[in-house]
Amino acid sequence: MITVKNLSKHYGPQQVLEDINLEVKQGEVVGLVGHSGSGKSTLLRCLHGLIAHEGAILRNGRTGLIFQQFHLFPHLSVLENITYAPIKVLHQNVIDSREKAKSLLHRVKLWEKRDAFAHQLSGGQKQRVAIVRALMMEPEILLLDEPTSALDPTLVQEVTNVVKELKKEHLTLIISSHELSFLRQTVDRILFLEKGHLVCDQDVQTFFKGDPESKSKLFLSAFYKQNNFLHSNAEVTQG
Amino acid sequence: MGAQTMNPFIESFIYILTGLGVTLKYTLIALTGGTVIGTFLAILKYNHIGEFGVNAYVSFLRGTPLLVQLTLVYFVLPTLVGFPIPVFIAGSIAFSLNAGAYITEIISAGLNSVDKGQFEACNALGIPPLLMWRDIILPQAIKTIFPAFLNEAITLAKETALISTLGEQDIMRRAQLTAAEHYTYVLPLVTAAICYYLLTFCLELLGKKLEKGLCYDYSQKSI
Repeated sequence: MITVKNLSKHYGPQQVLEDINLEVKQGEVVGLVGHSGSGKSTLLRCLHGLIAHEGAILRNGRTGLIFQQFHLFPHLSVLENITYAPIKVLHQNVIDSREKAKSLLHRVKLWEKRDAFAHQLSGGQKQRVAIVRALMMEPEILLLDEPTSALDPTLVQEVTNVVKELKKEHLTLIISSHELSFLRQTVDRILFLEKGHLVCDQDVQTFFKGDPESKSKLFLSAFYKQNNFLHSNAEVTQG
Repeated sequence: MGAQTMNPFIESFIYILTGLGVTLKYTLIALTGGTVIGTFLAILKYNHIGEFGVNAYVSFLRGTPLLVQLTLVYFVLPTLVGFPIPVFIAGSIAFSLNAGAYITEIISAGLNSVDKGQFEACNALGIPPLLMWRDIILPQAIKTIFPAFLNEAITLAKETALISTLGEQDIMRRAQLTAAEHYTYVLPLVTAAICYYLLTFCLELLGKKLEKGLCYDYSQKSI
């Protein structure tokens, strides 16, 4: 679905991505992890074609991108936000577009918020609107940039459910996130980026087993430490 | 007796008030011309196209008196182009160019107030540039632009009084002529002041109404 060959990107003298090679198959759900500044968001922007880069990216289908900060249009209602591009860019019929919007908004339980503006929505609701806005453009590949970073744990669950639903529809998803428990529930494969290099490409089970030789071990051990801490805290509270 | 003293006053008032049409004409032309110039240059500046030229234009037009610009266009430009320029054309050019410089800065500030993510979102959705500017960016920028634009309109309405120096019979020129005719400055100048105030007051009212219609009712910009 996506083939990346020798992808590099630099901003002035700063090399952000270097010689990335990867292939993502149709229906595959891939997690993109790495420390802050490792190049995850830049890689997603390159994969979407939003920014210029060196190397080749072959996309076999329309690509949608969901931003970390959602970037909903604040002067448009939820319904206008999600139908604007299909009507103006894909030249879809207004009635058909609204019908489709209605069904998608029902699916993410936001139909009653159709006339609300972005500032009247919670973080989870904004994220779901952003997902619907991208889905309205009928993408075959959906890229999600830190979809859970601005959300509290309850809202993370909302987004997890939506992603699981998308996975059932065999949509190709690439999700960058620091939320490893979220990725563990949703993705098939994990790519680990370090300083712009793709240093680890494993299926999700292997990744979470924690290969001691892997460069992701520090990242993963921090995750397990945090989980143990939360687990022991929960036990103290219950005790 | 009272009627005899009132008549010249009413006559003068009507004579001066007739100049309102001229003042209004220059204000509207300058605002239209200035908005076209300002929008175009602000978009160029925002996209870093010809930024040096735009900055130089804004700097020069804001850094020299409007009266100098007006007289330059009226007296110096004809020697360069080789034919005389009528007062109306000279006034329209000078006021539009001057307003254009201020409006460029006003619109630039408005565009800079729009979150950069909005441009990214438009690109990600494949929205073409014309639609992006018209439907997404400018409606958001207008909230910041409009109050400053209204100020500029009011300032312009008052500054058009400078056209009286080229003999155009606007409110100010008519007040000066009336004063010279009757050897009194108080009534003609107070009348002129009232006319200008009424004009700017109406502009302000109109502006407030337009502001309500144009600026969307969303209170938080950081989405």
